[in-house]
Amino acid sequence: MPDEETLEEGVLNPVKPEIQDPLLQSLLADSAAPKTPIVPEPAPLEIPLPAETVDCIVIGTGAGGAPLLARLAMAGLKVVALEAGPWHDPKKDFATDEKAQEFLFWNDERLSAGHDPVAFGKNNSGTGVGGSTLHYTAYTPRPQPEDLHLHRDFGVGQDWPFGYEELEPYFEELEQFLGISGPTPYPWGPARRKGYPLAPLPLNGAAQLMQRGCEVLGIKTSPAANAALSARYYQEGVGWREACTNRGFCQAGCSTGAKASMDVTFLPLAAAHGADIRPNSYVTEIERDETGKVTGVIYQQNGEEQRLRCRHLFLCAGAVETPRLLLLNELALSSGHVGRNFMAHPGVQVFGTFAEEVRPFKGIPGSLISQDTFRPKDADFAGGYLLQSIGIMPVTFAGQVARGRKLWGEALRQYMQQYNHIAGINILGDCLPHVDNFLELAEEKDARGLPKPRLHFTNHENEIRMNAHAEKLMRQIWEAAGATDIWAFPRSAHVIGTARMGLSGDDAVVDANGKAFDVPNLYICDNSVFPSALSVNPALTIMALALRTADKFLENQK
Amino acid sequence: MASLSDMASSPYPAGTVRALLATDLVTEATRTALLARLGAPEYEPQYFDAATYELLRMVAARLFPQPDREAPIELAPSIDQRLFTGGSDGWRYDVLPPDRETYRLGLGGIRESARVMFGQYFELLTGAQQDAVLRAVQNETAPGPIWDTLSANRFFEELLAELTENYYAHPLAQEEIGYVGLADVPGWTKITLNEKEDREPEEGEMVNW
Repeated sequence: MPDEETLEEGVLNPVKPEIQDPLLQSLLADSAAPKTPIVPEPAPLEIPLPAETVDCIVIGTGAGGAPLLARLAMAGLKVVALEAGPWHDPKKDFATDEKAQEFLFWNDERLSAGHDPVAFGKNNSGTGVGGSTLHYTAYTPRPQPEDLHLHRDFGVGQDWPFGYEELEPYFEELEQFLGISGPTPYPWGPARRKGYPLAPLPLNGAAQLMQRGCEVLGIKTSPAANAALSARYYQEGVGWREACTNRGFCQAGCSTGAKASMDVTFLPLAAAHGADIRPNSYVTEIERDETGKVTGVIYQQNGEEQRLRCRHLFLCAGAVETPRLLLLNELALSSGHVGRNFMAHPGVQVFGTFAEEVRPFKGIPGSLISQDTFRPKDADFAGGYLLQSIGIMPVTFAGQVARGRKLWGEALRQYMQQYNHIAGINILGDCLPHVDNFLELAEEKDARGLPKPRLHFTNHENEIRMNAHAEKLMRQIWEAAGATDIWAFPRSAHVIGTARMGLSGDDAVVDANGKAFDVPNLYICDNSVFPSALSVNPALTIMALALRTADKFLENQK
Repeated sequence: MASLSDMASSPYPAGTVRALLATDLVTEATRTALLARLGAPEYEPQYFDAATYELLRMVAARLFPQPDREAPIELAPSIDQRLFTGGSDGWRYDVLPPDRETYRLGLGGIRESARVMFGQYFELLTGAQQDAVLRAVQNETAPGPIWDTLSANRFFEELLAELTENYYAHPLAQEEIGYVGLADVPGWTKITLNEKEDREPEEGEMVNW
């Protein structure tokens, strides 16, 4: 940092940015007079001191930040959300075109290491007001109670510091608030007090085929729970949201508002209650006093550095940027677990070609689910997984064919001609933490001069066995459904566990309420706090944790 | 292997996507994105030197042969453009150097392997010989010192994936595979097997969205 920068007495700034990115260096060297400036104009040396201190700053507006922001605002607190990306108008800005929608992903480069490097970008990251929910598939199955105590049941992994009953009321609240479409009664798990508020979304071709194959094998299936509306629904703070048009583009942004991304649900609610949501605000530094208490943050907004002071900080930036900010700022590191326990859901996909016309671009991608594989009888692994049917957008599918089948030339074009006859199934399964799987800061710097994150991931015995079990089963389902040319695409999905919660600061970063063990006014709420990966898509659980974290915080403020 | 013209055709007649783009079934945002690709002007490389850019085009022509088109869909421009502006898709294999370096090394490696395998410039090899070089890179058996420092199969995977995504993002390639998801104004009500909206043209019919 320049010496001239005005810092308040006692405020520590461990972040040391500098331009080291070889890409950027060569870029600057190559083009003496670039047409558009690649780096922002030099920031003013003096960062303005804000006139006021807010009660809470929330970093990130995805499934972790948004529900929490709304809850805090509704309690009358003065809250500011800082979102790295822009605020979109989906109805006007979102194209039904995968390439044009790439702005929805967190495209700052992450380095993928290990034997099974995880794909980031469109696979599992997001930016913009609404975070990754702007392009999540909106699968919202609840975890099963047993998901929270894998260690108790199998002697491996980590148990959650509380039971399912702690989250259950929040699941119910979320399902009603977001207008989740799903089957009532739900065929798996404990009986529920309330059913889903809306009927399930319609099954598409891929779902029908999976249903057909599963019927032959005696596997129970059901229309899936999904946070897209099967009928218009009244949203507090928003008004009427219209039903899904089966446009099939959930993973590249919903342009109709039918999908419950945070920008059409919790964020307008938060704003209606006075929350100040600031887009294009990229946090670089977390400031604190000599007692270790967070005093505020420094962020870059439209090329200028800003400082904002707060009484409490909520870090909800996702399982890569959250630990990255902590490591950059040397904050909350006493447990030694920041960046460790990096888990990614086993997510192998199996595709087949059918005589029928499937048109896999129609309807929500995964309209059929089975959780019969939650604890398979013949399992040689701990935990379990769920099965989902897959419809798929053409560019994403083509990219997977290139990487997974290694086809090129005429063979690739020929295979892709079958696009309208292709259907897939994938799994989403639990993952165990392993000492080899972690996030660290790399030597290589990004365009801001900050170290890029490097994530090491290798599937170990449990994941390998689970994927093998699942691939075999999915191949059987597709054979029973009449598929030809069946092939598997190995894949890891969501990023989880890099700042986990637990009972003790010896092996966890935050306590059961999401509060850091070693920083008095820092809270974390996103998929980084998950002690275990769960056998379901994480978004609903992240939102439930967000509401719970807010409620616990508010209780403790009384 | 059957030639491209013999392939099982898509369930829509030729001209379907082009006709669709002219209708009010497509939102302005979608139409703008696709028309920009359909009418892309001639491209001058900004990152690669002329010879390396030409090599990239020739590699692309083997990975995506388009004998059925009068003018092929150009796949190299967006790679050159991306490398010029320093764009990223959000991640990179840690075993590879930064993208610009990977492409520079990788294309150099292809040149080198062609010389070792056939004693000739890649550009002057027959199609079959060029394919043999590319297959050797994909299988990590390509000769040449560059491949000691650059992971050949990871480079090949990245190159192939980027070319593939560029190809299938093009409206004419989407027409080739029968993708009409761009009709985003009405959405879809007939979404089950073998089901079509009344407005979706049948094979052999006039396209009249």
